[in-house]
Amino acid sequence: MPVWFVRGLRRGVVTTRYPARPDSSAASLPTPPAFRPRELTCELVDRMIAVCPGPALRRSDKTLVFDAGACTACGWCARVAPGAVASSGEFELAATDRSALVKTIPILGEQQ
Amino acid sequence: MTAVEPQAAAGTREQLVRTLAGLGSLQAQDGGAVTIRIPAGALEQATHAAAGTSGVRLADMFAADGDNTVLRLVWAHETGYIIIESEIEGEEYPSLSDIAPAAFVEECEIYEQFGIRPAGGKPLNRLMLPPHAGTELPTLGREPPRPPEEVHAPHTVGGQAFEFPFGPVRQAGVESLYYGLVTSGEEVVDLYLFTWHKHRGVEWRLRGKAVPEALFLAERAEGLSAVAVGWAFAAAAEAALGVTPPPAAARTRAVALELERLYNHAAATAALCQATGLSVGQAAAEIALERLLRLNASSFGHRYLFGVVEPGGVSRAPDADVLRRELPGAYGELRRVADALLSTNSFVDRLEACGILTAEQARRLGLVGPVGRATGLATDARLAVAAGPYADHPVNVITAVSGDVFGRFQVMLGEAAESVRLITQFLDEGTGADRTLVPSRAGTGLGWAESSRGEVLAWVALDGAGRITRARLRPGSARNWRGFDDACRSQNVFTDIPIIEASFWLTAAGMAR
Repeated sequence: MPVWFVRGLRRGVVTTRYPARPDSSAASLPTPPAFRPRELTCELVDRMIAVCPGPALRRSDKTLVFDAGACTACGWCARVAPGAVASSGEFELAATDRSALVKTIPILGEQQ
Repeated sequence: MTAVEPQAAAGTREQLVRTLAGLGSLQAQDGGAVTIRIPAGALEQATHAAAGTSGVRLADMFAADGDNTVLRLVWAHETGYIIIESEIEGEEYPSLSDIAPAAFVEECEIYEQFGIRPAGGKPLNRLMLPPHAGTELPTLGREPPRPPEEVHAPHTVGGQAFEFPFGPVRQAGVESLYYGLVTSGEEVVDLYLFTWHKHRGVEWRLRGKAVPEALFLAERAEGLSAVAVGWAFAAAAEAALGVTPPPAAARTRAVALELERLYNHAAATAALCQATGLSVGQAAAEIALERLLRLNASSFGHRYLFGVVEPGGVSRAPDADVLRRELPGAYGELRRVADALLSTNSFVDRLEACGILTAEQARRLGLVGPVGRATGLATDARLAVAAGPYADHPVNVITAVSGDVFGRFQVMLGEAAESVRLITQFLDEGTGADRTLVPSRAGTGLGWAESSRGEVLAWVALDGAGRITRARLRPGSARNWRGFDDACRSQNVFTDIPIIEASFWLTAAGMAR
C-alpha cells in the first residue's frame, strides 16, 4: 500500500497540498487587472469599458465596477491605460458568493 | 443532377484557372490564391469544371452582402486556392451541392444568413442561428423569407427505432451540443446534430473592427485552435494589405502552431481513454497534456497560446531554452502513454473498425485534418505555401488507410512526433518577435493554416480605413462535423459515439461560431 495513503489515513488528510509546488510559469501568465484609483479618470474608465470585450467593466458615477468573474484577463484595459492598470498576478479567484467577485474601485484621478 | 466525380486526367490547377478565367475574368492573383469572377449564369459550369478536376476540393463557400449578394467558392488544391466569386441577382442560385456535395452545409448557412437559396426547393437545415435569436444575434444579410427547417426525426421513428435525445447540456463541462440519436436499442440507425447552442455571431461582431481588435475575437472563435485561426485571419489581412511577416516571426507562429497541435492531440488521447473507460490511461494522458500546457505557458506566456499572433507578425518570441529543455520530456510522457495504449488490447479493440469513413466519403464531404488523412487523403494546408517556415521545412504528411478511430489515433500520434521535429528545426533556424508595419487601406485577402483539426480558412474585406466590412472564418471543425454522422452510422452501437467524437476532436464553438 502506498506510504502516502497510509500517512493520509493516519492524519485524516486525504488530499495533497494546493498547490503541491509553485508553478514556475505563473508569473508570466495573464491575470485580471489591478487598478490604481489615483490614476483613474472617468474619461479613462470609459475608454477601458469601450475596449473590454466582455461585461467585466462598468462605471457608476465616480466608481469603477469591476466584475472579476466576467474578466478573461485579455489585457485590453491595460493597453489603453497602462499607467492606471497593472496585472494583478492573482489566480485564486474562487469565491463562495458570486458578489464577492465584483469589486468597486473609486475613481480618484479627477479629484486631484 | 448527380455529383461530379473528379477525372484523373482532367488537368492541372493551371488548366482549371484558364478554364475558369475563360468563363469570367481573372480578378487577382496573390501568393497562393487566385480570384476569378464568374457571371451567375456560368456558375454551374464553373462548379462542374472545378469539381471534376483531380486533386481539387471545395474548401469553403460563403456570401457577402452588397447591392446584390456575392457568393464565393473557395477551391483548394495542393499548391493553393482558387476563389470563384459570383454576384447573385434575386433569391436563388444553382444548386451547387448537387454538383459538389460538400457545399450543402454552406448552402444552409447562406440561406440562414443572407436569405438566398439554391434552386430546386430542397429543405435547408437550421445551422447556427438559434430559433430564439433576436436582435442580439442578427443575420449578416437579408433574413430568409421562411425560417430554416428544424431537421430532426420524430421521436418514434417507426418499427422498433426511436429517437434518443442527448444534450445540449452534457457531462463534465463538455461544450453544448445536441445529438438526435435514432436507435433500435443498440445500433445507431441515424444521428443528427444541433450545434447552434453556442452561436456567438463572431462574423457579425467582426464587422467594423480594425484588424488587431478583430484578430482578438477571431482567436476566440475556436479557442482550442487559437493559433491556427489567428494565423489564418492575420494571413488574410496581410494578403489584403500586401504585407508579409518577417521570416523569424513566421517561424515563431509555426512553433506556436505545432505546440497547439501537440496539446490537442494529447487531449484527444485523454478523451479516447475516457471514452473507452481507461481511467489510468486517461490520467496518464492528462499528465502529458498538463505538461504541454505548462510548456506553452512558460514558453509563450499563455497555456492556450492566445495573443501570440498579431497582424504583421507576433507579440513575443518563444523562450527557446525552455522549449529545448522541456519539450522532449513532455512529448516523451505522451509517447509513453501512447505506447502503453497501443499494447492494451481492450483499448485497441474499441478503436479498430469503429467510426469508419472511406476516402470517397471524406472527399465528397470535403473533410480535412486527421479525419481526412486517416482515410488516405493527404490534404494539409501546410503544403499550400510557396514561402515561409513550412516551405523551408516541409511537413511529412501522416496518413492512414483504415479510416476508423484507430487510423485517426495513429495519424495524431505520427503528427505529434512530426510537430516535435518541426519545432526543433524552427528553433534552430531562429525565432523572433518582429512585426511588419500593417497599413490601413482597402483590400481583400484569403489566409489559411493547418490546425490540429485540419485546414482553417479566413477571408477578409477591408475598407479604406482598414476596417472590416466582411470577415469569414472557417475553422476545421466547421468542415468535419459533417462527416461525424456518417462515421457514427457505419455499423456502430451508440456506446461507440463518445469514442468517435474523441477521435474527431472537434469543437462545437468552431461550428457555431
